[in-house]
Amino acid sequence: MKPLLPLCVAALLPGLGRAADAVDYTRDVKPLLAKHCGSCHGADKQRSGLRLDTAASIRKGGDSGPAVVPGKSGDSRMIQAVTGAEDVVAMPPKGPRLTEKEIATLRAWIDTGAPTPANEVADKPTTPASKHWAFQPIVRPTEPDVKNKEWARNPIDRFILARLEKEKIAPSPEAERVTLLRRVSLDLTGLPPSQQEIDDFLADKRPDAYERVVDRLLASPHYGERWGRHWLDLARYADSNGYSIDAPRSIWKYRDWVIDAFNKDLPFDQFAIQQLAGDLLPDATTEHRIATGFHRNTQINQEGGIDEEQFRVEAVVDRVNTTGSVFLGLTIGCCQCHDHKFDPLTQREYYQLFAFFNSVDEPTLELPTPEQVKKRDEVKAKIAALEKRLKAIDDVTPEKLAAWEGSLTPEAKAMLPEKIQAILAIAVNGRTPAQEQTLITEYRNIEQTRHAATVLGESNAFGRTAHLLVAGERQALVKALSDAKKEMPAITTTLIVRERKEPRTTHIHKGGDFLRKGAVVTPDVPAVLPPLGIKEKLNRLDLAHWVVSEKNPLTARVTMNRFWQAYFGAGLVETENDFGTQGTPPTHPELLDWLASEFMAPLTLPSPPKEGGEGRVRGWRMKEMHRLIVTSATYRQSSKNRPDLATVDPRNRLLARQSRLRLEAEVVRDVALASSGLLTRTIGGPSVFPPQPQGVYNFTQVPKDWKPSTGPDRYRRGLYTFLWRSAPHPGLTVFDAPDATFACTRRNRSNTPLQALTLLNDQGFFEFAQGLAGRVLKEAKADDEERLRYAFRLCVSREPNQRERETLARLLTKQRELFAQSPKEAQALCPSDLPKDADVANFAAWVAVARVLLNLDEFITRE
Amino acid sequence: MFSDNPLLLHTRRHFFRECAVGLGTVALASLLNEGRAAEKEAELVNPLAPKKGHHRAKAKSVIYLFMAGGPSQLELFDHKPKLTELHGKPIPEEFIKGKRFAFMDSFTKEPPKLLGTRRKFDKHGERGTWVSECLPHLAGVVDELAIVRSLATNVFNHAPAKIFINTGAPQAGRPSMGAWVTYGIGSEARDLPGFVVLQSGPRGPRGGAPMWGSGFLPTTFQGVPFRGGGEPILNLSSPKGVSADHQRDVLDAVKELNSAHLADTGDPEIATRISSYEMAYRMQTSAPELIDLGKEDRRILEMYGAEPGKASFANNCLLARRLVERGVRFVQLYHTDWDHHGGGGENLTTGLDKVCREVDRPCAALIKDLKQRGLLEDTLVIWGGEFGRTPMGEVRDTVGRNHHIEAFTMWLAGGGIQPGDLGATDELGYAAVDDRVHVHDLQATVLHLLGLDHTKLTFKFQGRDFRLTDVHGEVVKKLLA
Repeated sequence: MKPLLPLCVAALLPGLGRAADAVDYTRDVKPLLAKHCGSCHGADKQRSGLRLDTAASIRKGGDSGPAVVPGKSGDSRMIQAVTGAEDVVAMPPKGPRLTEKEIATLRAWIDTGAPTPANEVADKPTTPASKHWAFQPIVRPTEPDVKNKEWARNPIDRFILARLEKEKIAPSPEAERVTLLRRVSLDLTGLPPSQQEIDDFLADKRPDAYERVVDRLLASPHYGERWGRHWLDLARYADSNGYSIDAPRSIWKYRDWVIDAFNKDLPFDQFAIQQLAGDLLPDATTEHRIATGFHRNTQINQEGGIDEEQFRVEAVVDRVNTTGSVFLGLTIGCCQCHDHKFDPLTQREYYQLFAFFNSVDEPTLELPTPEQVKKRDEVKAKIAALEKRLKAIDDVTPEKLAAWEGSLTPEAKAMLPEKIQAILAIAVNGRTPAQEQTLITEYRNIEQTRHAATVLGESNAFGRTAHLLVAGERQALVKALSDAKKEMPAITTTLIVRERKEPRTTHIHKGGDFLRKGAVVTPDVPAVLPPLGIKEKLNRLDLAHWVVSEKNPLTARVTMNRFWQAYFGAGLVETENDFGTQGTPPTHPELLDWLASEFMAPLTLPSPPKEGGEGRVRGWRMKEMHRLIVTSATYRQSSKNRPDLATVDPRNRLLARQSRLRLEAEVVRDVALASSGLLTRTIGGPSVFPPQPQGVYNFTQVPKDWKPSTGPDRYRRGLYTFLWRSAPHPGLTVFDAPDATFACTRRNRSNTPLQALTLLNDQGFFEFAQGLAGRVLKEAKADDEERLRYAFRLCVSREPNQRERETLARLLTKQRELFAQSPKEAQALCPSDLPKDADVANFAAWVAVARVLLNLDEFITRE
Repeated sequence: MFSDNPLLLHTRRHFFRECAVGLGTVALASLLNEGRAAEKEAELVNPLAPKKGHHRAKAKSVIYLFMAGGPSQLELFDHKPKLTELHGKPIPEEFIKGKRFAFMDSFTKEPPKLLGTRRKFDKHGERGTWVSECLPHLAGVVDELAIVRSLATNVFNHAPAKIFINTGAPQAGRPSMGAWVTYGIGSEARDLPGFVVLQSGPRGPRGGAPMWGSGFLPTTFQGVPFRGGGEPILNLSSPKGVSADHQRDVLDAVKELNSAHLADTGDPEIATRISSYEMAYRMQTSAPELIDLGKEDRRILEMYGAEPGKASFANNCLLARRLVERGVRFVQLYHTDWDHHGGGGENLTTGLDKVCREVDRPCAALIKDLKQRGLLEDTLVIWGGEFGRTPMGEVRDTVGRNHHIEAFTMWLAGGGIQPGDLGATDELGYAAVDDRVHVHDLQATVLHLLGLDHTKLTFKFQGRDFRLTDVHGEVVKKLLA
């Protein structure tokens, strides 16, 4: 080849006019491309969707379009790339650039029409798609052998213990009973145990007393609230549209659907399918449609001057990225702009996923009650009748107008207002639209008057009266219409996703820019994951089935890892949102796979199955997995720090103990409400407005309406607080509640002075302290020690120790003395509805004690 | 606290272990392989404790005067006689071909016409710097300023553009500049948050909390908005009727019980909680004194045009000085209504006059005041909006200017900044032609002045390292003293 090249180049030099057929694709071009481009655009890797190992694939091109324009080397991207022309990334990005001669060879081949050899066979990939653990099928591992068989309560423990035994670490003893009860109550329901529940559990000596508690908690409707809220973090649920205008929206029906789905233990596969594609299910129900609100939790930009298409695309991008991180635990979002830097995911594949979500409409679903339907039909009929009458008065056709104009005698014309005369003097086709309109109005007044006047007589005076009558009738109709519209029942609505009849064409967006359209793509899933198995007319429902197919190696692992994270503070895979090659590998890979396979496995229960049919109960049961984890010995360990672990496992990744976890923002509120006895236990409904400090909206573009709820709604659980994306309730933000801009797969657990200020000074928390003081004084035996004990138990469930009793008693005595001397100050700390004969100093002193208890680290911690 | 940062969590656990077994800071230092044990130790208890950056810092603190809406550089700093000469002529097509603007429909009818300014420009200061008549006070301190006329950004709508200049990305959710800075070097303030946000103008800026948010960084680093009028920090005052003594009694009891529980569980998170409560209490004590401008000298109040008790940009400038005096690392002042399209009050005549009047005197006073106190040399002052405005007119009620991303002007002063003019636009002021400074370059430069290398200040999230400047940005060397 080499000796020929100078000849070829000579052949190409302009002006020499020699035939260019000296360049042969197979001999000259193919080896050149293999040498310079093969590592990124060959059989193993196709950066930007481009393959350069066959002439056919060169002509087909990549995500930016064909690589060559036969006959026009100057217009060919390949040449622009190797010469580093403007707007095209210079190629190759690393390694030596092509020589002048080599470039000339490529040009020559293109300019002669880029002839394609027949029967050229593409190379086969030399490496498998990926060896990365997370992309391999889930194989149920066998449970390992352990020495301390006594300790292990279920298979989870054997996996944990096997590793601990290998490291020669002993697990921690079980937590104290009351600690365990508070822990599991908070983890499963987000509420502390009641005094009765504590007493019952401490008195229950049956060996399965704890398992009975778990059953009770899983059956509680508060379980759905607790675990529903975890899911709402992923769903980026909020009650407003986001961006800068951030207008309110109504989508709480979706929130309630999630709570209900958890409570009725909807299997996770159904749970996922209904949210991703409920609208496409055969015989989709209203519930299924509400579930599609999952992907309507995207933001809506209502700012002036925006490009609507840009923000429609932003929402689709969010849907792809959220689906990727929530179900697959992959950082698919990286591929919006370029091929993934680390994982085997390409930009083309990103837009193939994008194509699944690109063809949706975003309607609002009305959810009327039967009474509302009836009422609405009545009002609609009423409105239609009124409108018909109004139309009869208002209707003016051009023909009617022309006939009227023709019928006007000069005398009649002279009686018309001057303005009208002036218009009539203009030729019909010379009148402006505004003049037309003036004429129509006048005609309507006069002509309609005439109908009435005919009845009343022809005199002018009568005519005027008739005119007034008609005008009066019109006015009355308009008013009746506006009144009727007010009678329309206020129907609850929710945002849903609906597939379009005609799908949109999806292009690759070059560099992630929706204006720079690249190659057209059709829906498909990434090649590194199991194929869909179908090729024709793919839609979101196919994708949803694929997401929860048993072959999918990610969904079950990712979901189980997130469950684990909620119970231990960190997942088995610590990077819960990155199961790709840059994520941390699992600490206990077999345990993760065992959990995943157990999660998917059809579970057979002794009782006959209600659903699923054929003598077996369906898999993907969430409650069963919760039960397994919280009944394990691993979960039940004490969370106390162990000096012996500090060197070998400082971050508690091996789980030789439990972790102390600060409660989530909503639960901080919930435990305060429960302890003070103020909690309203209503499940679901429109979001509410608990009090918040003044001035929260000084910093938002559009001031928000926040009229504090009164009555029971003032004391609802934290998850029902109305969430404005641009300014969430400060009591939530300060404890790291997400603001719902993106899917939140793990919350921070920060520890800041602003949290201290909230618990100390917030009006809401002060009300809780007053509530707690009142409750203790009312419910406990009238004895300081008994009351202190009761108050302490209300807040942290356990009994106070000697030192704690002394500290609190000292505070109580001192405050009581101080307040006795300054009754005014005492009065200020008491609620306004305190009975007149109440001991104000005593109450105020108890408010002080209550404030201390509500500010304890232990109070906002799951031990 | 650093739940997303395994190393820090790790070192914290180590710290407590080492202390528990009696090893001192020497052992800890060798453990960390950094000679910064005392610093680390402080950080374990207080994540906002001051930290060393990557190199020696020129500036200790930042006052960022954010002119929300996009001030018109062509009325204030970018003197373009040619534009005035061609006033009323259509803009040559090569300038706008293929370009996108907000409110595109305003351009669809006919090619937009050039709009010369009606404002008079003069040369000021020793260098003869062009500043318009709109900013007479600022013109008086122009020798202290580095005026950059060649800024460029990517995004042309308000909220995304503001979020972009603050966080390096146009979508909400990344950490803001102030959060990155306090994450990187903590704060000198013991009694106050490290990053404070102040606001003046009729409403909050578009973009909202994400502009000073901590994104995926721990929330400790997010900007704390001080509210104009009333309580500067939410829940700063004790509940109504609770005396200071009573509050202290409650806090003492909380501390005693938390300490006992720390001894019982051994969880260092409780130690952080105890220190958080102490900081909260100090904030309760110190913040009211901080915001009480009544104690300032009358001449100082006059210089700023500040009136104690009133919410204004002038008060905020004075407050900003008091904040950096107390060691607060990053203070950001938002002043809204610089969006002069030409409609309603948003015009380039009375509308612009009004906002200029509100900021001109206080900005100049801030520079003078910082200088006379010796604070200017280590306080970086930044002035500017999220983008600039077009040389073409936009016809609404009056003729105003549209959003423009190709060129705008900002100025910087103080800590490590070389005063002077930097960069230039073409003769119509359409695009930056000399020394173009992209927003990411500005961000890199701000971090550099604070002793931070923008390529090294990273946080791992969703599987990759993130930074303020994304994958872009170069320190603007010409801005450095």
